[in-house]
Amino acid sequence: MSMTATAAPPALFSVTLDNWKLAILVGLVVSVVAVLALPAGIAFWIVGAMAAMIAAAFVVNAYRRKYYGGLLVAPAIAVLFVMNIFPLLWSLGLSFFAYQSNQQSIRFIGLNNYIKVLTNEIAAPANWDALINTAMFVVLTVTAQMIVGFLLAMLFAKQFPLRKYLLILVLTPMMLSVVASGVFFTYYYDPTFGILSYVVNSITGGQFILMSSKVGAVTGIVFADAWMWSPFVMLLVLAGLVSVPKYLYEAAAIDRVSKWRQFWTITFPYIRGLLMLALLFRTIEAFKLADLVILLTKGGNDTMTISYHLIRIANEQNKTSEGAALSYLMLFMVIVLTNLYLYIANRRSQGA
Amino acid sequence: MTVMTKMKGFAAAAGLAATLLTGGAAQALAEEVTLTMAVPDWPPTRIMKKFFDEQYKPKSGNTVKLDVDFIPWGDFYTRVNASLTSGEQKYNFVVSDSQWLGAFVEGGYFRKVNDLLDADPEFKAVMESMHPNPRDAYSTYPHKTPNFYGFPQFPDVLVNFARSDILCHEEEQKNFQAKYNKKLPCTGEELDAMTWDDFRNVGEFFRRKKGEMLAGKPADDDFYGIAYQAGKVYDFSSMQINGFIWQMGGNVWDETQAPKGQAEGVVNSPEAVAAFEKYLSMLEFMPPVAKTGTMDIFKTDELFREGKVAMNINWIGLGEASLDPKTSKVSDKLVFGQMPGTMGADGKMVRWSNIGGQPFVLTTWTTDAQIKEAVEFVKWWLSPDIQHQFAASGGQSAIKSVYEDPKYVTYRPWNRAWAPQLDWQKDVWHVPQFYELLTQQQDQFDLAITGKQDAKTTLDNIAKFQQNLLTEAGLIQ
Repeated sequence: MSMTATAAPPALFSVTLDNWKLAILVGLVVSVVAVLALPAGIAFWIVGAMAAMIAAAFVVNAYRRKYYGGLLVAPAIAVLFVMNIFPLLWSLGLSFFAYQSNQQSIRFIGLNNYIKVLTNEIAAPANWDALINTAMFVVLTVTAQMIVGFLLAMLFAKQFPLRKYLLILVLTPMMLSVVASGVFFTYYYDPTFGILSYVVNSITGGQFILMSSKVGAVTGIVFADAWMWSPFVMLLVLAGLVSVPKYLYEAAAIDRVSKWRQFWTITFPYIRGLLMLALLFRTIEAFKLADLVILLTKGGNDTMTISYHLIRIANEQNKTSEGAALSYLMLFMVIVLTNLYLYIANRRSQGA
Repeated sequence: MTVMTKMKGFAAAAGLAATLLTGGAAQALAEEVTLTMAVPDWPPTRIMKKFFDEQYKPKSGNTVKLDVDFIPWGDFYTRVNASLTSGEQKYNFVVSDSQWLGAFVEGGYFRKVNDLLDADPEFKAVMESMHPNPRDAYSTYPHKTPNFYGFPQFPDVLVNFARSDILCHEEEQKNFQAKYNKKLPCTGEELDAMTWDDFRNVGEFFRRKKGEMLAGKPADDDFYGIAYQAGKVYDFSSMQINGFIWQMGGNVWDETQAPKGQAEGVVNSPEAVAAFEKYLSMLEFMPPVAKTGTMDIFKTDELFREGKVAMNINWIGLGEASLDPKTSKVSDKLVFGQMPGTMGADGKMVRWSNIGGQPFVLTTWTTDAQIKEAVEFVKWWLSPDIQHQFAASGGQSAIKSVYEDPKYVTYRPWNRAWAPQLDWQKDVWHVPQFYELLTQQQDQFDLAITGKQDAKTTLDNIAKFQQNLLTEAGLIQ
């Protein structure tokens, strides 16, 4: 038996470096005692040390028993834990307390933050407005990007002169920093210095101000966002188009299948998966839209999105725990939406 | 070369070497102290850093380094707030906007300095030699109590930036007189005497389309008479609107009256509504960007420097760029006056305005050695000689003996408006809730500025929000 090469698991109470069961037991007991008996500042580090000790025991155990697969992913899991999972759990905990980052006091209040975020007569309407605006931006920006990106991909799938250079040009917006693009669009839309008002005014003779109404402001933001991210959709779709075997088209041509039918029966099935992926990525990103709004309208003209609203609550007004509660509700929504989405996408591809 | 001169040369060289050596030895004994500072990135702080590097010699003999983080205004609050609340304890000194005091004193970040002042009579005398309005606004928390937290770094007020080439043009003067039966203000004194009604008339009068005659020439672009801040971000409309409200007999929620003072009925009083309506009524004469809610202090400054408006109300702190021909198309055509006022019932001008400018504040984790050097540095900064130099390079001073010196008004063209405006400065909320109060108010003002909501509804909403928030915080009973 190959198992003879590995050491037998240690007994529960034998003090060895690889005894992870004992490590968990000791870690739990010490943590609970520390949390109950010591001031929070010190207890925090003791609990942290216990977590590190348990992790170390797991690693030694894995090494002695030659679980190399586990060892190889351990650094990634450690980073994930420190950078993602721990802050997530920490903020989940915070959302049940009354805590402001610029004040020293902290008090347990149960679900009150969630209740405030959802029902308070002053806080809740602002949250709902921001959420509705976000939903609007998700629908508009993602639709615009999918259509423009898809058409661009259809164009670039063909060979034509200067294609390579035009492709680089079309991809440029995606590579620019959002701040640079945002500032560029600010000037583009500016009624005094901007080219847009200049052109419209010289045609109509009136005084055109794009950003002075909600429709205009939303159009401005959606246009800027589509300008930046349509190339991303194009890249993904283009990858799909390139992967379609040529002989399928040749066979279809021999059978005199119409171009329209060729598209739906050959091309589309190949790119559907990538289209879904692009849709998923862009929807999640659009849900987090804040940067362009900050740069273009600062949330004015009723363009406040939930992300920007959250930045203001949590980072600027220092209402940390209320912000945590709101962001958990947001996270919950994104997870539900994403899963729904994946479910539908999978069911369709199985049906096909 | 004679032997004698050789000898002299040798002696001189030896002497030099000796001083270098002993100097070096003294330096080796001295400590190196670094003061880390967060400041907004604009001329008043750039000048301070330049003076420090060029001139500052610490009395203690220590090597003092000033490590300055220049942060753009738009992000300044967010960045400083993040640094302080995260507990990284990076900064010893913060150039804080006056309204931040409450939030950061209550958070335990800003250090009370009464002990430092009491220990050093000379230092205390400097603080007492300041005009009480800026001192109270920049240093005291709770507001107007003798609990000191800061020292003025750069005091500031709103003034009227104007174009003499347009305003003093004969043709325009004649037409304005004919239309309004009043002289078009052209000199500094005439600007000082302006009321908001005169300001409105200038706005109405100078609205010109591209190609229409402007000061004897066809305008090369659309031209507007007036501008002031009407932006959504930070405090870029409140600072102007507060002046209107105070001048016309209204008030904001008064922190010095807490917990008796109310928000409901005060913030939305008929006087305040009328004042806000007056503020809104002038926006139609301003560049069209006013309707988008992004006409902040930087935008009006840019419009003015690009030659698109005749008059702009703005902070002195932004003034240097308009005087510099490299950044301003109007650098040689400027005249400055006080911000317009409102004529009182007794025939005297009422000039209330919201104070600008910032104090330096020390943080609580600053060590004793750093505090000693910081105090020396602040004393040096507030010494008459440096304050004069600062004013001569575009700064301002709140120290009476400095700004009352006849030389003072000659430093910069706007300095003539400085001393008379100081008596009329007030400030808003130094309470910990200030940022919530400010963002909600700015959002509401923005709705009115962009024409979505009338003045009454706006102030009603603000009053309701403030009443609720401040009652919860125990500041209204």
